[in-house]
Amino acid sequence: MRGDGWGEGSPNRAFIMFRLLQGKVLFFTSLSLDYFHLKHSACAKQSLLLEYTVKILKLCGLTQVRWSRYGPEYQDPQIDKEYYRKPLAQLTEEETYERELRKTQVIKAAPATKTSSVFEDPVISKFTNMMMKGGNKILARSLMTQTLEAVKRKQFEKYHAASAEEQATVERNPYTIFHQALKNCEPVIGLVPILKGGHFYQVPVPLAERRRRFLAMKWMITECREKKPRRMLMPEKLSQELLEAFCNRGPVIKRKHDMHKMAEANRALAHYRWW
Amino acid sequence: MLKGMTRLVSRVHKNCVIFILEQCRGSCTYGCLPWKRETSWLDPGRFSHLGTQAPQCPVAHLDNQVPTERTRAISRTLENDPAKHGEQHVGQHYNISIQELKTVFPHGLPPRFVMQVKTFNEACLMVRKPALELLHYLKNTNFAHPAVRYVLYGEKGTGKTLSLCHIIHFCAKQDWLILHIPDAHLWVKNCRDLLQSTYNKQRFDQPLEASIWLKNFKTANERFLSQIKVQDKYVWNKRESTEKGSPLAEVVEQGIMRVRNATDAVGIVLKELKRQSSLGVFRLLVAVDGVNALWGRTTLKREDKSPITPEELALIYNLRKMVKNDWQGGAIVLTVSQTGSLFKPRKAYLPQELLGKEGFDTLDPFIPILVSNYNPKEFEGCIQYYLENNWLQHEKAHTEEGKKELLFLSNRNPGLLERLCAYL
Repeated sequence: MRGDGWGEGSPNRAFIMFRLLQGKVLFFTSLSLDYFHLKHSACAKQSLLLEYTVKILKLCGLTQVRWSRYGPEYQDPQIDKEYYRKPLAQLTEEETYERELRKTQVIKAAPATKTSSVFEDPVISKFTNMMMKGGNKILARSLMTQTLEAVKRKQFEKYHAASAEEQATVERNPYTIFHQALKNCEPVIGLVPILKGGHFYQVPVPLAERRRRFLAMKWMITECREKKPRRMLMPEKLSQELLEAFCNRGPVIKRKHDMHKMAEANRALAHYRWW
Repeated sequence: MLKGMTRLVSRVHKNCVIFILEQCRGSCTYGCLPWKRETSWLDPGRFSHLGTQAPQCPVAHLDNQVPTERTRAISRTLENDPAKHGEQHVGQHYNISIQELKTVFPHGLPPRFVMQVKTFNEACLMVRKPALELLHYLKNTNFAHPAVRYVLYGEKGTGKTLSLCHIIHFCAKQDWLILHIPDAHLWVKNCRDLLQSTYNKQRFDQPLEASIWLKNFKTANERFLSQIKVQDKYVWNKRESTEKGSPLAEVVEQGIMRVRNATDAVGIVLKELKRQSSLGVFRLLVAVDGVNALWGRTTLKREDKSPITPEELALIYNLRKMVKNDWQGGAIVLTVSQTGSLFKPRKAYLPQELLGKEGFDTLDPFIPILVSNYNPKEFEGCIQYYLENNWLQHEKAHTEEGKKELLFLSNRNPGLLERLCAYL
């Protein structure tokens, strides 16, 4: 533990999110601070680097929003059970070296939500977190499990009602349906407001992988929260929407198509993008 | 200023454009920056998208076949008559046809089981030790002696209600008259319309609950209702009355038609059945689920907000007379449950805790039967049953790891296991 004035979390490898004061264009920047030719000790270097970073960012009108308390020397925890079950005799040289190295390294604490369960699914966890309101993870998780159960029961009903040939096409695994539905809802291209000549223009922009996943989940949740009849419960509505999205129908897919159409309509503005 | 740094590489990775200026780990190395790929933790490609079907397991065709060549547990038996169930069937599921289900169980099955029956298109009940023990006792009852009381008790989710249903199915097959109260707790709470009883001004009527129960009772015991004759004259109001010697079906009809008299109709039915079962015309099974409601507290209040005790409810008052052992020619099978009970702590499951002093003293000479969690064989049988019905759709649920995890998470509790497997 290096106790410097900033605490142990000076962001050396800091993913710094900053906003332009005028607009809402978000950049992800990670300043590589190791390129400073400073002959100070590591912790003093970190704190100085951080000061400089903050000053530079403030000059540009950018403020740091999110950073990690862990320094760069902290390694991510290895949660996979199989990694530890491998008998020592079967390890290659690199793996043995890696294991020995890990014994000397400091490791971050594993988050409470990451388990070594075989049934764990990061997409489901992310979706549950996005559905959560006010920190009520118990409720969010129970809604998620009820949704998966509802999807499964509906598909079983369909399976039993279908003829022998159709039965092979009916998908009963709620997890594949969930993944495929969210994949179908991901937009390929998005719109970003860019300030040019005093006006904001909606410019079509290719989206990052994580932004697409986020948008798919966000649209799904918003749709289920707002457009459901008053007494319908979330699992029922969500299972309905997931099944429709799985078949490439439904309001969330429509929203994705609308986004694509707007991007297509604005394609003349594509030159405004400079990255 | 930042020397050698800021290689602004716009890495167009497929469709994403991100500026990543990343440093390498460790101290200053200016060589080529190892470009970290975008985190793949959310990459759904980790899980196969092909819905894997569970391996179809062959149904055991011979009950006596010892699975020496197969290491898988047998989950089904072809013996569908509860009278013939024995030790060798423990852990196996037997089938109840849907028509039989509708006649024998118009009410009384747990709601999750009803959903399971609807999903699988079949009703399969597991044969377990407590039910077998009870069946053995019932087969050897002496109908000349007063009715014996059996109390099924256990922790939440261990299978008391379904064991009761197993017993009821056995008795229905043996042509007993089934008096099944699906959940006595429903009669002591959430009652919208309480009427002052016409028969006795001190008590209260519950028309809705009584009429629903009468309808289901009629469905379950159609054939007996025309045979049993009423031994008293009952006057309902100025215009309607039931003569002595008319079939019990009339009383039941009257209760269903005139909802105001439903509670009194229930009282009459109970009285007549108790009187006549001692004569030996038919055998009576009184099955009450959640009998601790009869001696607890209610959440019902009078108009002046004073609480009502259970004996002031006519239904409860008459039911208490049924579970007394002063009649012959049948048996009384009861369940005590904390789920649905009022003002009882969550962890309480023993009869003494749930019945209270009054209830325990009333029921006093009874045979307690503990219903516990699955043993390993039953657990394997249950998992096998789910696999055969393709209920466990998650790929990892078929593996040994998955089974171990299910064992750990559910602690072999049947209710918990069912809820876990529902979303996997």
